[in-house]
Amino acid sequence: MTASDYLNLLISALLLAGTYAAMAVGMTVIYGVMKIVNLAHAGFLMLGAYFVYEVHERAGLHPLAAAVLAFPFFYGLGVVVHWALGRGVPVSDTPTLASLLLMFGLWLVLQNVGYLVWGTSDRSILTPMTFATIRFGEITIPKIGLVVFASAVVSLAALEFVLHKTWFGRSIRALIQNRYSCRIVGINVERTARLTFGLGIAFAGTAGGLLALLYPFSPDFGRPFLLRSFVIIVLGGLESFSGVFVGSLILALVETFSILIVPSSYQPAISFGLLVVALIVLPGGVAGFVARKRSRRAG
Amino acid sequence: MAALLNIEDLTKYFFGLAALDRVSFEIREGEIVGLIGPNGAGKTTLFSIIAGSQPPTSGKITFEGRDFTGVKSFRAVHAGIARTHQIPKPFLSMTVSENVEVGLRFGRSRTTRNLGKEALEILELVGIPSLAGMAAVALSVGDLKRLELARTLAARPRLLLCDEVCAGLTESEMQSILGLLRRIQSLGTTIVYVEHNLRAIVSTCHHVIVLNFGKKLAEGPPEKMQNDPAVIEAYIGKKARV
Amino acid sequence: MSAETQRPGFALQAVRALPPLVLLGFLAALPLFNLGANSVKVLFLTFVSIAASVGWNILGGFAGQVSFGFAVFYGLGAYTTAVGINEGLSPYLTYPLAAAVAAVASLLVGLPTFRLRGPYFAIATIGVSEATRVIMSNLEFTGGASGYRITEHVPFRQTEHYYTGLALATVAVLISIAVRRSRFGLGLRAIRDDQDAAADTGVNPYAYKLAAHALAAALTGAAGGVYARYAAFIDPEGVFGFQRSVGILLMPVIGGVNTIWGPVIGGGVYGVIEEELVARFPQIHLLLYGALVMLIILFEPGGVLGLLQRARRLVLRRRVASWQPS
Repeated sequence: MTASDYLNLLISALLLAGTYAAMAVGMTVIYGVMKIVNLAHAGFLMLGAYFVYEVHERAGLHPLAAAVLAFPFFYGLGVVVHWALGRGVPVSDTPTLASLLLMFGLWLVLQNVGYLVWGTSDRSILTPMTFATIRFGEITIPKIGLVVFASAVVSLAALEFVLHKTWFGRSIRALIQNRYSCRIVGINVERTARLTFGLGIAFAGTAGGLLALLYPFSPDFGRPFLLRSFVIIVLGGLESFSGVFVGSLILALVETFSILIVPSSYQPAISFGLLVVALIVLPGGVAGFVARKRSRRAG
Repeated sequence: MAALLNIEDLTKYFFGLAALDRVSFEIREGEIVGLIGPNGAGKTTLFSIIAGSQPPTSGKITFEGRDFTGVKSFRAVHAGIARTHQIPKPFLSMTVSENVEVGLRFGRSRTTRNLGKEALEILELVGIPSLAGMAAVALSVGDLKRLELARTLAARPRLLLCDEVCAGLTESEMQSILGLLRRIQSLGTTIVYVEHNLRAIVSTCHHVIVLNFGKKLAEGPPEKMQNDPAVIEAYIGKKARV
Repeated sequence: MSAETQRPGFALQAVRALPPLVLLGFLAALPLFNLGANSVKVLFLTFVSIAASVGWNILGGFAGQVSFGFAVFYGLGAYTTAVGINEGLSPYLTYPLAAAVAAVASLLVGLPTFRLRGPYFAIATIGVSEATRVIMSNLEFTGGASGYRITEHVPFRQTEHYYTGLALATVAVLISIAVRRSRFGLGLRAIRDDQDAAADTGVNPYAYKLAAHALAAALTGAAGGVYARYAAFIDPEGVFGFQRSVGILLMPVIGGVNTIWGPVIGGGVYGVIEEELVARFPQIHLLLYGALVMLIILFEPGGVLGLLQRARRLVLRRRVASWQPS
């Protein structure tokens, strides 16, 4: 393998990392604020993919525009779902099995509604852009990958902006830190939770739409991405947003470069293995590990 | 009297903050020892580490002459150290009697027969025999504290660590709990208990250890602690007097 | 009801044991009446499901450790029996072997993952299960993704399978009852309620979780083995797949988790639905399960059994309320 081959792989990994980050953010937001492990995240990724597909097919809109539209659509959907689930999605300090099972049930429902509506066969979204590439000398970058990466970066930057520069964002960060203090200070915990849930679903739907541009999809679309989201969140630290970047990068690099060592059919096992290892070795994720190292030096 | 428990330079760090800083003391068998200090002094952390619920960052624990550092809580129970929690942690799916049964079956005595009878005896000791069949979820805070104590006693500890057993109780409830502790001690158990009420300390304890900011501030008989200026300062401030 | 402090008298226990015994007798006698091959098949599959369901419940219900990856044990049991029979072993020897293999595997899975609590443990089990499926799909020795066939040189006797399944389900239920009443079961309950408090009271959580896991895995592995012999063809996607883990998990949750008979009811419901609906409406059944799980979590965490108990209390209350002194 030549140097440019390695460089190409590296760039693929980076692009993949960006997409993965966008995908995992939705789950992190919901988990961080409400400590709910949203297994239905996979279902909303899938719905996002089909949303973009349908809007593209029927309204003729460019898939990227459809993905942008997905954001407010899924935000509204998320808020409605949260309202419908009511007591089943409480804001708590520790994750509960009841909420885990509930979201699991929701995922089953979404997935199979998907099968009923769209059938079992794979679909793809193809545009003139899908196979186009940009060349810099020996380096080839797929245009669509770059576009998706850029969209992911933009949406994450927007999230950072909201979190740090708006009142809503500050409520979210406060809620992540301490639920009781929020109530004392006057933050409406329930409403913040509901809007945050909506935000998480919005990211899920949009990410699903973006991913649909890269991969073929079926109603089972979410599952491999769900597990990857877990890996990312666990690697990065379940409660830190910057951790999502780190986790995405690690996963993307491992996945991309593992092809050199292991036959591709074994590749999913690597992600799963990484998940288990990460859960056990780094309970706080990389962010937690770094924090502990720092504290030990200080103490 | 022999030293039952020996703590040497026990230290615990949480992310760079020293919750316990080289604490050392001895507990002699048969005594009731009071552990006092302002909130945040590290008392619950100390109990937690001695009982094995968490490991220390450094330091040594010796129990009955054997090295006990880092011993996990269930093993500590089997060896004879048991604790109650500041906020009771009952087994909510079980009845009061079943809760005590867990202590009987899994504690030091590993009782296998006459569980019902023995559980009832312990419940009588703590004063809630009539609640034996009641579901733990239905209990009031005061009764939950008694249940917590009953379950811990069921494990037949040689060293009992009581974390704020009097918190939230009325004056008369507190007196009855203190009388209970004295009775437990007379039956052969060594007790260390966390307390904020200085009168309770004076009336019940042989020995007092004072903690503040994770460090041992002073120790000695209760009367001496009452007048120790460092202790008074820790609780009330420089200029006040008890 | 406490295991010890309120042990009901022998007479009461005998009366309580009557309905299940009657059911058992009924099921044992059933093949004698000309039932039709399809009904026997449905019942057999239900028995296998019940065994796995009851097994899972020992870990997930009694001990409160929800595993999303029990297909690993089902699959390992299936493949152990399949390979064993092809190597010439008596099937009845392969079933305990399947249970043993699954139990050992459960130790390998549990040792690292039981450090995790609640949902983290659940997620880790998904990872382990999926990783195993991928590995098994690539294993040449067992046919890889295209599956593995069992060749037996004895005629296929459906009643034999029926009774094996019934025996397995019965053994599973008996083990479940024994655990519930034992000191081990009390420890598991304590761990489920509050693991830290249990440890502070003398229960060894790690060891107990591993033991419950091994028992649960053994039953599930045996179920996989019994199934494999019946099916005569197994493939990684079918026995190791996430669908399988989901199915095993759904049965006790729907029927009533953390009870003796809930998983049995759940297994029954699942077995019947699987056979009746899957052929005709392939995607409806999962939709149904998903909706059922959501309804159960939101409204009746006790599952079908919980609903039945609530209904019974309602009926009793009405009877008491309407009682008139003569």
